Amino acid sequence: MNSKESCRSELRIAIRQLSDRCLYTASKWAAEQLMGIEQDPANFTPSNTRFQWGSSSIRRRFRTNEITSTPIAGVSYVSTPVMEEDDAVDGDFYLLAKSYFDCREYRRAAHVLRDQTGKKSVFLRCYALYLAGEKRKEEEVIELEGPLGKSDSVNRELVSLERELSTLRKNGSIDPFGLYLYGLVLKEKGSENVARTVLVESVNSYPWNWNAWSELQSLCTTIDTLNSLNLNNHWMKDFFLASAYQEIRMHSESLAKYEYLQGTFGYSNYIQAQIAKAQYSLREFQQVETIFEELLRNDPYRVEDMDMYSNVLYANECSSALSYLAHRVFMTDKYRPESCCIIGNYYSLKGQHEKSVMYFRRALKLNKNYLSAWTLMGHEYIEMKNTPAAVDAYRRAIDINPCDYRAWYGLGQAYEMMGMPFYALHYFRKSVFLQPNDSRLWISMAHCYETDQLRMLEEAIKCYRRAANLNDREAIALHQLAKLQYELGRPEEAAFYYKKDLERMEAEEREGPNMVEALLYLATYYKTQKRFEEAEVYCTRLLDFTGPEKETAKSLLRGMRTTQSGFPSMDVEHFSP
Amino acid sequence: MAGIVKPPGEFSITPHKVSVCILLQIYAPSVQISSPFPFASVAQHNRLGLFLLALTKSCDDILEPKLDELIGQLREVFGVLNPRFIDHLTTRLSALLSPDDLFNFFTEMRGILGGPESGALEDEQVILDPASHLGMFLRRCILAFNLLAFEGVCHLLTNIGVYCKEALSSCASYETTCFEDSSSNLEAFSEYENMDLENFVFKKVTEEIEARKRASERVSFHLHAPKALFDLVEDIEAPADPKTKHGDKVGEASSYVHPPNYGLREFEPNSGIFLRTNWQIQGYLQEQTDALEKNGSSFSLNAFELILRQLHKLAPELHRVHFLRYLNSLCHDDYFAALENLLRYFDYSAGTEGIDFVPPASGSSSFGRYEIALLFLGMMHFQFGHPKQALEVLTEAVRVSQQLSDDTCLAYTLAAICNLLSEIGVSSTAGILGSSFSPLTSIGISLSVQQQLFVLLRGSLKRAESLKLKRLVASNHLAMAKFDLTHVQRPLVSFGPKASMKLRTCPTNVCKELRLSSHLISEFGFESSTMTTDGAFSTAWLKNLQKPLGSAILSQENGSGSCENAFQFCVQPSSIPGSVLQLIGSSYLLRATAWELYGSAPLARINALVYATCFTDASSSSDAALAYVKLIQHLAVFRGYKEAFAALKIAEEKFLSVSKSRILILKLQLLHERALHRGHLKLAQQVCDELGVLASSVTGVDMELKTEASLRHARTLLAANQYSEAAAVAHSLFCMCYKFNLQVENATVLLLLAEVHKRSGNAVLGLPYALASLSFCQSFNLDLLKASATLTLAELWLSLGSNHAKRALSLIQGALPMILGHGGLELRARAYIAEAKCYLSDPSFSVSENSEVILDPLSQASAELQVLEYHELAAETFYLMAIVFHKLGQLEEREEAANSFKKHMMTLENPLDDEDPLFNVL
Repeated sequence: MNSKESCRSELRIAIRQLSDRCLYTASKWAAEQLMGIEQDPANFTPSNTRFQWGSSSIRRRFRTNEITSTPIAGVSYVSTPVMEEDDAVDGDFYLLAKSYFDCREYRRAAHVLRDQTGKKSVFLRCYALYLAGEKRKEEEVIELEGPLGKSDSVNRELVSLERELSTLRKNGSIDPFGLYLYGLVLKEKGSENVARTVLVESVNSYPWNWNAWSELQSLCTTIDTLNSLNLNNHWMKDFFLASAYQEIRMHSESLAKYEYLQGTFGYSNYIQAQIAKAQYSLREFQQVETIFEELLRNDPYRVEDMDMYSNVLYANECSSALSYLAHRVFMTDKYRPESCCIIGNYYSLKGQHEKSVMYFRRALKLNKNYLSAWTLMGHEYIEMKNTPAAVDAYRRAIDINPCDYRAWYGLGQAYEMMGMPFYALHYFRKSVFLQPNDSRLWISMAHCYETDQLRMLEEAIKCYRRAANLNDREAIALHQLAKLQYELGRPEEAAFYYKKDLERMEAEEREGPNMVEALLYLATYYKTQKRFEEAEVYCTRLLDFTGPEKETAKSLLRGMRTTQSGFPSMDVEHFSP
Repeated sequence: MAGIVKPPGEFSITPHKVSVCILLQIYAPSVQISSPFPFASVAQHNRLGLFLLALTKSCDDILEPKLDELIGQLREVFGVLNPRFIDHLTTRLSALLSPDDLFNFFTEMRGILGGPESGALEDEQVILDPASHLGMFLRRCILAFNLLAFEGVCHLLTNIGVYCKEALSSCASYETTCFEDSSSNLEAFSEYENMDLENFVFKKVTEEIEARKRASERVSFHLHAPKALFDLVEDIEAPADPKTKHGDKVGEASSYVHPPNYGLREFEPNSGIFLRTNWQIQGYLQEQTDALEKNGSSFSLNAFELILRQLHKLAPELHRVHFLRYLNSLCHDDYFAALENLLRYFDYSAGTEGIDFVPPASGSSSFGRYEIALLFLGMMHFQFGHPKQALEVLTEAVRVSQQLSDDTCLAYTLAAICNLLSEIGVSSTAGILGSSFSPLTSIGISLSVQQQLFVLLRGSLKRAESLKLKRLVASNHLAMAKFDLTHVQRPLVSFGPKASMKLRTCPTNVCKELRLSSHLISEFGFESSTMTTDGAFSTAWLKNLQKPLGSAILSQENGSGSCENAFQFCVQPSSIPGSVLQLIGSSYLLRATAWELYGSAPLARINALVYATCFTDASSSSDAALAYVKLIQHLAVFRGYKEAFAALKIAEEKFLSVSKSRILILKLQLLHERALHRGHLKLAQQVCDELGVLASSVTGVDMELKTEASLRHARTLLAANQYSEAAAVAHSLFCMCYKFNLQVENATVLLLLAEVHKRSGNAVLGLPYALASLSFCQSFNLDLLKASATLTLAELWLSLGSNHAKRALSLIQGALPMILGHGGLELRARAYIAEAKCYLSDPSFSVSENSEVILDPLSQASAELQVLEYHELAAETFYLMAIVFHKLGQLEEREEAANSFKKHMMTLENPLDDEDPLFNVL
């Protein structure tokens, strides 16, 4: 793609501009992407390659279609002119203010800039004030924790900032950074619609500010709002869309976008991590693990997104790898919510649920709105049979993000444990609504319908059927379907499902009680249907197993032979001992 | 964090308490400092003491007064004579500029407390006893201050700054804010506008900005957002309250949403500075709950939701808010929101607050009481008309509460199931109700729904009695009465020694149950105050505050030294809780219904009147509407439509806000009735269809309305002379009533069938129906309906030929006392006519000898029918009169009667599309 070079130069300028304005996260992001662009072989130098994934195994393994050379047809990017700095040389005031800012003395920085009128200075002053307010707010939340746990501390700078910025916007003397800050303030104040327009304005005139994009993304919770945005077609938009799709659970769309972006930013850690996230949602744990191994090799001190890696390790029950990861992040930065979460996961895997809860609690103390910690803590409480605490934890997760299907599922489980299956059904329904592609959810719901108290077998069958169509890993659904159909007196359906189950087990080379049960049922079924040949096949297969079934199979065989050899009217049961 | 409930009601120091401390210092100056203000009189000194006492007692209240309010109160109590206090107060407050000032202030405060050893009292020296109420208050303040960390001191300081500044600024702009409050507070609902409210808080900040503005002159500070922005703002506002759009309606709208408004002011952001205790907010919520229950739909959904959301922000650990949100959405028929909030509430609270919560004796229920969640969910499904889900959920509730041996919940659940079964037509409970709680099903005897209901009712009553749940006992008695009213008690087991049982309902039982249920009020009379919760008290204080202050001024002017009026808010408002009153009220309503069924119009009317006059304040608006409906129906039957419609108009205005209104149904009923009488059959059919549409489409729900609609449909068909169709409709109606065990309705339907056959000329076919209806009436003690059935029977006999006239006459005469005593206009007229016809067709009767015997009833009938505008029957009356006059040879009268006959026939055949304003209502 010939745009690589232009991307690179755009990013280089943007990084300078962003860090001039102390938008550190955005400039970090931009710098990461800059390094993520594939180097031209022309200026390859040996020292350069060391930082690159020259031998990336992932790329070889997972790059399914070579998009690199084929940009999507019809996509023409708007070239946004790089913003001209209004004052080429920073004033002395600005320099002083910036150094104060860098030392996190926000109010001092704002004070220095009080009389400056340049756009850059105005922005930095407002931004410093905003951050000062945020800092104070955080402190107040702890100081003011009343008996009702109230948290009505507000950023006290918001009102004045909003006035000033809206005036600036009206005058037309606002730059994209100012718009970004204005959008941030508006969002905080709850005027989401206005915030969205302002942020769109900001990213359209200056697309390299990832902060603005991510604020915008947090305001787009439905596909409709996303589609209604009027965005210029810049390559940054693809990053935005990919992350927004992920947030609204359109995982495959998101994955496609990221894979497309990889064409340009082939070495971006960020994209790798996001792809891992999408794969994780699609439950492709193997790939996620590989990606993270690779990531850690390149970026060993990374803490971001590592909680997801720990989840994968947890699911695969790799306790030593998990402990290694926990140790590593602990040494890097122990007071990151992600680190606490990873340690919590480790203890949970080890079965030490009290300790695990302690670490999840610490993670939540560090970030009250840390969604997965709430959910995971709920799981721990479930393990500890403390259902009310579990319910509380799950509910908090839901109040933070009502689309968290794990928490809904957990609530359903908790209520089922308390012997309230009908009540639990509502929660299961919610979770399958949000994640209809997960067979485990359908199976749990079916199980709930099946309980002694409800016995709503028809509904259970429907759920199992969904689960069976969804590549059910544990292969519970087919077996249960067969059993239920038998219970409801539908031998043909039962035979159909037993047969399917059997085929599956054969394909996966698994044996066990389910296999015996299926064989036995099929044998008797075909015998009653007078299809002796099939029955015989199943009976002979049964003979390979030990146990009482073997004897039953033998007697069945005997019975069939006698029937075939001339006692047609005789019932077999009389013969069997 | 999970499962941790914070201790309620911490005492924390606020600016208001600091002012009270300053006043305390004025009241009891310390020994070292001589009193700065010698009091003019002892009375004045005492008055200050009393005022302080009231202030300290109310210091736990939901909303602390702001400084200007406090000053206002001081002015009222002391008149304009003594502004020095106020100056002193404000100067002291504004002198508190640094943390050190606060430290010194509280050390000084310690000085005014008398030590335990200071026995020697000097003259005129007031020393605060540390154990007295005021002394305790002061000590608590000092303690709270000493416990504060430095951050806390800083916060107190800023809060005092805001507190003073607000008072000063609001003095200047007091009038404008007052004015705006009344006219434009609707706008304040949108969150966007709330920014303006916050201006007070951020005064300081704005000053800073203003300073900055002066420095850089270019920036103008008028808030003129660009047009696009404004549009967006409107977008935000619109869903908040649609009424804002109708500019001219703001006046009435604002009075309409008054209660939420009132609440909003309490929770505007800047009042969030002052901490309130758990109990106080709970009290506020309790009050709102009552208000919602009483008059749900007059709350504006969004406005109240907004308050609750704000409240939730302030106190995220207070889960009751979710319950109120549930109630709010329930009142506005928002199923999804209601479900969501209900589940959320119980997820958080685990059922450990709320109904008759008994702290668990054993450790068994330390795991939360989620069965209550089931109970509420069941009731919610019931409310929304999902009987099947409701039954499922309630069954689960029974099972879970049995498992956890939660007897209270079980009792309530059983009561809820009874309620469900009696309200909703269920043709069979097989497979739905678990067998565990009915002792008989375990023996393998299948019971009918009614029998099962009876068993349940008995069990629930017994359980409630043993648990001493008084309200539940009372409502169970009511349910029992309801059951006895419409059901014959049969022996439960069909084998064994047969008790000689009359297959009749037993009115005395109904009476007994009703009386038992109203015992409740006497029980609550004795133990009045224990029932009110703390929170409810503190809000009651708040409510009364506005009133007595006005009267305090009066007493001031009268010169009487006592100002007790000002403090009467310490008195408990009412000794009987609203829920009890509500129960008693509904027993009266039930009485009215019972008498209506048994056929005593005056008694029914009196009971409805009692309800309407005594219990409307305490009752929910839908119950009150029911009482009005009964009264208006009575009017329509006994006084004709004109008066009924006049009364209806009043009722409509009164219950404007009630959704799914009974008033609307009543209106349709009246319109239908009148249309039938006047012969406007098209209109009648239209009205009838409208009535049918109001019912829910789920089987078993809204049975009453469904029966009513199809009954009226049949009658309309009958009036249109479509006999076979009418009979078919009536027949299917009978089948439905039989299926759902609606026996009382069965009697009516049978009577209608008899009527159909009579009109179609098949008197012989009609007779068995009439007789069957009679026997139904007998076994259910439906006396008035029985009289009416007797009348129909007589008419049937009469139409069989003149040789049955004697028998018919005796039947009619037997029923006449009942009809004349309790029957409505139509029934009476019909009886008169039938009587006259009997005489006329009796060959042995001579008209010329006994003309009065015929003419009197006929003229009565004609008068009554004209009131009713029942043209068809009126024409018949005049026809009969004309015949009689003809026989008597009174030609002039005959012509007159014939003319009247003609007139009525004309109007019947050409229904005038007259002036009626009620037509276009539809």
